[in-house]
Amino acid sequence: MAIMSREERTVLLDPFFNNNPIALQVLGICSALAVTTQMAPSLIMCVALTAVTAGSSLAVSIVRNYIPSSIRIIVQMCIIASLVIVVDQILQAYAFEISKQLSVFVGLIITNCIVMGRAEGYAMQNGPWSSLLDGIGNGLGYSLILMGTALCRELIGSGKLFGMVVLQSVNDGGWYYPNGLMLIAPGAFFIIGFFIWGLRTWKPEQVGSED
Amino acid sequence: MQHNSVRYIVLFAGAVCVLCSFFVSTAAVFLKDRQQANELLDKQEKVLEVSGLLEELVEEGLLEEGKRPSKDQVSKSFDERIVMRLIDLDTDAAAADDVGIDPATYDQLAASKDPDMSAVVPSNFARVRRVPRYAVVYEVFKDAENKELDLRVLPIEGMGLWGTMYGFLALDSDGNTIRGLTFYKTKETPGLGKEVEYSSWQSKWPGRKVFDANWEPVIEVIKGVAGPPSEAPHQVDGLSGATLTSRGVTNLLRFWFGEEGFGPYLAQLRAEGSGT
Amino acid sequence: MNGKANRGGHGLQKQGLYQAKRGTSGDGTVPAFALSEKMKFLRELQDKQYELFFKKGKPLEKFFPLYEANDTFLYTPGDVTKGASHVRDGLDLKRMMMTVVSALGLCMLMAMYNTGYQAFLAIEGGAAPLDSWQSSLYLTMGWEFSTSSIIGCLLYGAFFYIPIYAVTLVAGGLFEALFAIVRRHEINEGFLVTSALFPLILAPTIPLWQVALGISFGVVVAKEMFGGVGMNFLNPALSARAFLFFAYPVQISGDKVWIAAQTSPDGYSGATLLALAAHGLEIVETGLTSGIYALQQSGFTWWDAFLGRIPGSMGETSTLFCLVGAAVLIVTRIGSWRTMAGCVVGSFVMILTLNAVGSDTNPIFDVPFYWHWVLGGFAFGTVFMATDPVTSAFTETGKLIYGFCIGVLGILIRVINPAYPEGWMLAILFMNMFAPLIDHFMIQANIRRRAARYAA
Repeated sequence: MAIMSREERTVLLDPFFNNNPIALQVLGICSALAVTTQMAPSLIMCVALTAVTAGSSLAVSIVRNYIPSSIRIIVQMCIIASLVIVVDQILQAYAFEISKQLSVFVGLIITNCIVMGRAEGYAMQNGPWSSLLDGIGNGLGYSLILMGTALCRELIGSGKLFGMVVLQSVNDGGWYYPNGLMLIAPGAFFIIGFFIWGLRTWKPEQVGSED
Repeated sequence: MQHNSVRYIVLFAGAVCVLCSFFVSTAAVFLKDRQQANELLDKQEKVLEVSGLLEELVEEGLLEEGKRPSKDQVSKSFDERIVMRLIDLDTDAAAADDVGIDPATYDQLAASKDPDMSAVVPSNFARVRRVPRYAVVYEVFKDAENKELDLRVLPIEGMGLWGTMYGFLALDSDGNTIRGLTFYKTKETPGLGKEVEYSSWQSKWPGRKVFDANWEPVIEVIKGVAGPPSEAPHQVDGLSGATLTSRGVTNLLRFWFGEEGFGPYLAQLRAEGSGT
Repeated sequence: MNGKANRGGHGLQKQGLYQAKRGTSGDGTVPAFALSEKMKFLRELQDKQYELFFKKGKPLEKFFPLYEANDTFLYTPGDVTKGASHVRDGLDLKRMMMTVVSALGLCMLMAMYNTGYQAFLAIEGGAAPLDSWQSSLYLTMGWEFSTSSIIGCLLYGAFFYIPIYAVTLVAGGLFEALFAIVRRHEINEGFLVTSALFPLILAPTIPLWQVALGISFGVVVAKEMFGGVGMNFLNPALSARAFLFFAYPVQISGDKVWIAAQTSPDGYSGATLLALAAHGLEIVETGLTSGIYALQQSGFTWWDAFLGRIPGSMGETSTLFCLVGAAVLIVTRIGSWRTMAGCVVGSFVMILTLNAVGSDTNPIFDVPFYWHWVLGGFAFGTVFMATDPVTSAFTETGKLIYGFCIGVLGILIRVINPAYPEGWMLAILFMNMFAPLIDHFMIQANIRRRAARYAA
């Protein structure tokens, strides 16, 4: 590919499987548990988080050489918080129904460790283009797990995908018994646990050392 | 300038703050109208739903079954057929038009948390702690032209199993027959108590009566199957496996149609005769 | 080193045996008592199978765990504990597990009897029999729905119990075998206990596919995910039950599931006594809603509850038979009396506290301890679940604390949280998680005590 060098591609694609923010770094679990009962709000959440991560990484990277180190964390927070508020406002204006379902979890992107971690861990040392890619990559890595979790939870928990009935539930005259565990937060724990189990069986180098 | 000098730090921080706040406030200002319109529409749609006006739209062929109405449809139906009326729960007066509160913008939930706007009620099974002084009642008319009252939509709330359940009840102009019930916000168990939010259970309500012959609120959610309204006018099917949510619904209805809630207001309407 | 690592050690040891077995089996390590004529034939059959199929390099090499499971089921394991640090004792894992299963025997019988008895009681009270193959088969065999026939009750109950048990064995066993083959270790006898316990804590009317799903979850998530028998920190049977409880609450809780007959609200209530107590009943004279009054008016006496003739999960209703089981476990030193005593004392303290506090809005507050002890999963959980050696605390004082906390928490969940009157399961699972922590503090305290002693 012409627009991206090999390293840039690594920066973008690494967070999918090799260095996934949720599965390996175990960051951003809070929202992954809270919003994944349905796919539609999860998708919006993913878009919001990817936008914020990309935007904040880009912005932090642009000003990285000017930020005084003594206040760098607070400056990053300031940038992230502003982006999150703007995203939240946009959602309330253009996706009201879903923003109500997401409720505080859009606001909580501010405290999502992925955003902060990428700004501090990557964007402070790298140029704007790489940082943008890194932000998008991590946002997408998060999205991958989130959408996977939401897929399992909505399908098993309500027999639907994006609100469309796939498995007709017994309450509506069908045959499928929806699994209530998938609709409460612990359900996401199990799904993410299975993902991590699968990923670490596939890539054994991700297994942490015993301490 | 040195990056670590106090002056630089202060200036930099100031610049970041100004930029960020500019960014945020621009977004907030430009999107505000749209957000408020969304909120209003959302509420109006719920009222239309519980009062059966959405169903009318479907019957008239203007709306596909199961689809959401458009914004225009919602505001058109609402404006043509519904009037919001503020009632004073303290004096039980039907209307308190002179208090200077616009029912369209009045936030009843916020008011019930505000000590100046609400009163503490004695401990009750619905576990309602404060009742607002003013409540919004939606009066729904039979058709757009001649303003004959069809039903009233009353806001209700009370404890379920895990948290407060918020909803609306549509009461016929006879002041007794339930035309519809909906809960739009609950924290009940998915698959069990959460069923109160869905139409399969809500459809069992129309036709039931709130009060008995002595105008005591006796409506209740029972265990098991209640039968059609003609046989069991005061009873509604319980939710299988969700005894406590069902009991919560009974408690909150009895509270809101009792002395502390809309009971005296409805009594006054009956005394006035026609109820308009 | 903490408790967890100790437990892990056992698994490693078994791995070693597995290797040893492959080299030595079939060359005369068979115990002498097994060598009667018929037995010899069986032994030879087993050995032949091994030589032909399961030996290293033979076609079914991968499935050696299946052969091994069958072999050790028929014979004492060929390997004995090696190494100086171990006490040589006749009590191996297999015998230990079999003792637990036999201690459960009476509870299993009770599961069948009571399932039939409750169904017939409901039918005599006006409920219709379930429209199912069980009813048809029972009637075809010429029996009547009558509580007076003990054999009839047993038979009808068996029609419900045995399919559930069979499904548990097949579905759970499948995953056990799968993991054994993939991980190249033997199938562990521990599953026999899990599979014996699991049906006993289910409602008789539960759909069989849920049984299969539940036990699969228990085996895979609660056990294999953490490395298999000995490494699991949650009780697999209870985890399976908890999974079903949260996933399919309608089929595993509520009023309609405990009795294998068509109960109806105006005919015969199918609620468990705990649910009745939680709901309470108004005493007409005083106008108070009382839990104990609801129990007294339920139509069941305390003795019914003690003997187990009340609606509930199949095998957990009989406090008497749980006591028998407890005696077996304590005499054979498999179940810890400390854990059980801790549970009893903890619940006693908590019940007295709640009785003293009282409540106007929660009727179950006034239920006294002697009722609490015969209701719900108290006895069964305390005896068979809390004492599970793998998931309970390891240290002796730790077991007391662990049991005590289960008692306190169990009553707390039962009484305070109206949604989970059958909260014993959750209390045990919760304390399962804290068992390693309790052990850690016990061991640290011991180390400090010793250090102080020798410092002087």
